[in-house]
Amino acid sequence: MSEEMKADLDLDLKGLLCPMPMVKVSQNIASVPVGGTIRAVATDPGSMADIPAWAKSTGNEVISAEKVDGEFVFMVKRLK
Amino acid sequence: METQQMTTLAGVLDKKMNRQLKQYLDICARCAICKDACHQYVATQDFKYLPARRAELIRQIYKKYFTKTGEFVPALYEARDPDENLLDELYESAYACTGCRRCMYYCPFSIDTAWILSVAKAILIAAGKGNEMLGQLADAALFKSDNFEMFKDVIVDGFKDIELQVKELTGDPDAEIPVDKQGADILYVALAGAHSILPAAVIFHEAKASWTLSYFEAANYGYFFGDAVKARQIADRFMDEAKRLGVKEVVITECGHAYRVAEIFHEAWSGEKHSFKVRHILEVIDEYITDGRITVRPDAITEPVTYHDPCQVGRNGGIFEQPRNIVCALASDFRDMTPNREQQWCCGGGGGLVAISEMDEFRLKSGTIKAEQIKATGARIIASPCENCRLQMEGLNDSMELGIEVKAIMDLVLEAMPLAGSSAKVTPTD
Repeated sequence: MSEEMKADLDLDLKGLLCPMPMVKVSQNIASVPVGGTIRAVATDPGSMADIPAWAKSTGNEVISAEKVDGEFVFMVKRLK
Repeated sequence: METQQMTTLAGVLDKKMNRQLKQYLDICARCAICKDACHQYVATQDFKYLPARRAELIRQIYKKYFTKTGEFVPALYEARDPDENLLDELYESAYACTGCRRCMYYCPFSIDTAWILSVAKAILIAAGKGNEMLGQLADAALFKSDNFEMFKDVIVDGFKDIELQVKELTGDPDAEIPVDKQGADILYVALAGAHSILPAAVIFHEAKASWTLSYFEAANYGYFFGDAVKARQIADRFMDEAKRLGVKEVVITECGHAYRVAEIFHEAWSGEKHSFKVRHILEVIDEYITDGRITVRPDAITEPVTYHDPCQVGRNGGIFEQPRNIVCALASDFRDMTPNREQQWCCGGGGGLVAISEMDEFRLKSGTIKAEQIKATGARIIASPCENCRLQMEGLNDSMELGIEVKAIMDLVLEAMPLAGSSAKVTPTD
């Protein structure tokens, strides 16, 4: 799904260690409009739990979270 | 702000008041020795970062609500209400502080300004003005444990990926990353990422240790946020796991504040004595090397190496020699910084500052003393057992072109261990 959608913001979080991928998504969410999306690519496996947990606890939405060729690709939608 | 709300905020100070805090608030002689101890004040020369000035903001509320002179003649006795202006000043003072407690070390009365600023954070949270990012990170950690079944599979899948690298490095197809292992000696509490799990798993494997990995990460943003209840709940996640599994000790990864929370604060917060020991991973590794349970090549690192004492591990945690023992066991050219150990300068990255983007410029500026210390050693590698310190020093390395490599101690140990498996360098993010 993430490959088909054009995100409002692309974040390259490769090489960042947890919890920094979650921190970077959180720092950037305000820069997309409500309803807009961030496509984030991380390499730390901890992000697979961290980013969805952050989204749930802040009232945002992870549309997809996939492992692609050893990278973790997230589409995060700003809901408020 | 309404009078009732200001009285409520002053009530937060009342709830936190005890004999020690009262002494800190009463005894400051304004000698300002602390100004030369604070890396942030020395680097910026900005009055608002002077430790005594930061504490003075809480002292002004104390005078207004807890002394008759301040109550009746506030202007004369520098007493203030916690109004919007004071709260804004408190925010800058409290959330900019890394909690390194170097000011306390040099204070003639040992005033713990970081403690006073924890009260400031409690007041700010009560006013709805706590730092948003730190609050979000704390809430995300609690959400993960409150809805654990939602995340368990993805967490375990991540462990399995790392386990493949452990098998490859050790050359042992049966090597594993055990989780939920009843009766293990050690519960190892890592960070969320692979970087703090892989090297420890290899070291435990080579030492033939009885261990199990916690489902939960050691990092505690509730502590940085300043919410003692959330901080305890975040630590409870792995402390309860340790009780359930009946381990003999909880071993905290290379993370400064997580170690201090677990070893120093948690028993007091929970009102319950631990049935197990709490140790830092470097205490364990030093013991393994000393006892011959693992081997490191003494000339594994020939480039000059220096060591940064994280404030929460060193000055506030009391661990000074074990990391140096480990580095000296594997590096032929170790160069200590000056000053070091309990007098070590804070790098500027603690207190959750690395997660607060609006403080990035200030944070890096406050690290100039640390950068000069590193330069003076001539070291090419700096090792430090704290994630926040390493992030800060990587930032200093980039911004000040120090030309150094920033490493965790466990990574150096892994490089120095003769392993039966793949000799190819495997990085935790591969």
